[in-house]
Amino acid sequence: MLDDQGNLSIDFLAGMTIFMIALIWISTMVPGLLITLQGKTIDYDAVAYRTGAILVEDPGWPASPPWDNLNDLQKGDIQRFGLSITKDTPNVLSLHKINRFFCSTAFSYPSDYQSRLIFSNFQYLFNISLSTFDRTINESLGDVKPDGYGHIRRYIKIKYPSNTTILAPNYLNSGVSGGLSDNTTTHVFSVQLNCTQLIWDETNVAYQINPLTEQIMVNISNLNNACIFNPCPPNLISLSSIKIYRQNPSQPFGQVREYLSSDPQFNVYIDGSNTPLPALDPPSVNVNNNVSVIFSPGFFFGMASDSSQMYVNYTFTLANPDNFFNNTFTTPYHYDYNPVRVTQPLLKEGVLEVAVW
Amino acid sequence: MGFIVSFALFFLAIVVNQSTVVGQTTAEGVIEFPKNDIIDVRNEILFSSGIVNPTNLTDVKNDISSIGLARKMAIISFNATPAPPGSSYKNVILIHYNNGVTAYNETANY
Amino acid sequence: MVNSDGQLFTIEGISAGLIMLLTAYIVVNTTSIYTPGDTHISDMQLEQLGSDALRLMNTPNTSATSAESSLQKIIINNDTAQFSNTFLWFCNSTTSGTNDNLQFTADLYYRDKNTNSVNKIHLTQTRNLIGGEHPVRVTEWVHLNSNGQVPVNNREQAVLVEVLLWRD
Repeated sequence: MLDDQGNLSIDFLAGMTIFMIALIWISTMVPGLLITLQGKTIDYDAVAYRTGAILVEDPGWPASPPWDNLNDLQKGDIQRFGLSITKDTPNVLSLHKINRFFCSTAFSYPSDYQSRLIFSNFQYLFNISLSTFDRTINESLGDVKPDGYGHIRRYIKIKYPSNTTILAPNYLNSGVSGGLSDNTTTHVFSVQLNCTQLIWDETNVAYQINPLTEQIMVNISNLNNACIFNPCPPNLISLSSIKIYRQNPSQPFGQVREYLSSDPQFNVYIDGSNTPLPALDPPSVNVNNNVSVIFSPGFFFGMASDSSQMYVNYTFTLANPDNFFNNTFTTPYHYDYNPVRVTQPLLKEGVLEVAVW
Repeated sequence: MGFIVSFALFFLAIVVNQSTVVGQTTAEGVIEFPKNDIIDVRNEILFSSGIVNPTNLTDVKNDISSIGLARKMAIISFNATPAPPGSSYKNVILIHYNNGVTAYNETANY
Repeated sequence: MVNSDGQLFTIEGISAGLIMLLTAYIVVNTTSIYTPGDTHISDMQLEQLGSDALRLMNTPNTSATSAESSLQKIIINNDTAQFSNTFLWFCNSTTSGTNDNLQFTADLYYRDKNTNSVNKIHLTQTRNLIGGEHPVRVTEWVHLNSNGQVPVNNREQAVLVEVLLWRD
């Protein structure tokens, strides 16, 4: 190359060309080195969408028994939050799961939620709000939204559990015991939850009464008018016990639980009191007019299966023998899909919004 | 000649660089997957499996197939058979959905 | 080296040329000639919204044996005003702040058993499509029983409600 003609040899040209091609190729890859450093800001909307989908369409994990049955100390067992009733009913949410999810005493923002809902190495902050259209439920969780955030809005229906109200004067002992003594001091009233029938009769989980996973509420009212001469004399009626019996194809009929002392999942309210009964102690408690029992979701899960029939037996003791609220000689009160007897589960519309930043 | 070669190289380099960006974004992936279509048609099929009258059942099957092909660009078919006696469910339903990109097959106990 | 013989092929010339090319390339690259327009995020959000709204309109609130969903009642009674009200009630609701403002147009597709063709009935719209909008399509299957006014054939059938949804 050491002449003054200003030409290059072909060899040099070829070599230089290849070198330049390689150089340009490498320089195009330089921006790719910076990709991992900027990942968090690109997809707020994607994280919001994924979080919304998990909340609305997924029942969470563990799914059966559902994660909302675990108490505060067991929250380490919850792997994923999800508000849907089951995976077959997307957009239909369980009221109990919603209450558990927004419970600030059980879970703390943001750490408890990030590991069970956001699933990212980067610690996203978020705000989740849920409300029904009529604003009877209006829950919110998280920080105040800043100026730029990813967002998704989902529409939902919330399933309200069933309940039944039993009017005592309709279930008197008289006239049905067929000659056996009507006037006694001990009266037993039985409510039946036939799990097999309940699960078979309604296959759509959104409308199903499932004692294994849902709240069951039984209100007995108007006890004051359930005597021969109404109203009943004062201090006549005492509630001695509430016992739960189980009938399984494979096991003998037997008692599985009795209300003895305060059980967080088995709450008894006497005469419209706001606090549950601490104990049936002394072994009977005076009742004037109402007894309400609320079985929290998951109460029956450990003791029953979908082939069981459960019986809840109330034993009332009267100070004097009288004709009273008793179905010992007729059939148990069926807690089923009869809308006259039982208020059926109801769905209510709502909206859920997730903001992530 | 060198000019031409250099411009060619220049253009090729840009094309190669931009090709990585013109891929699918996350949102496109979400839109492309027929999640709502499948949930939707599955609910309709599970409900229809309870139809007792065989003429009506055939009609509904044909409705779903024709409308699915015409409007959803998807092949949708299903077949319901009674469950074995003693099961806790009533029917065994085979669902087939294919929109050319995503195929969904399920055997449902309902 | 100033003469008339192939000055382009001097080393300085080549190096200068390549440096100019490289600079020009990097400059052009950083300004991104191709910008993959990502309106898809808002499309995705809108599609999810519309799908949710239609699906919930097609879910009855109770399980009484005669319970029909809002959508079934609307189609059987041809109550297009109710469709508009209910659909917008869903689509424009938020948890807090001002309500949204979405526009839509809805059609119903059914199969005519006699001709085996798929036909359309227009249901309702907030306003017609003019052409500048960027609508998303959401659909919902509705099951109709053979009582009441049904699109055609007076039989039990499955029809498809298709809604084009957009934001102004």
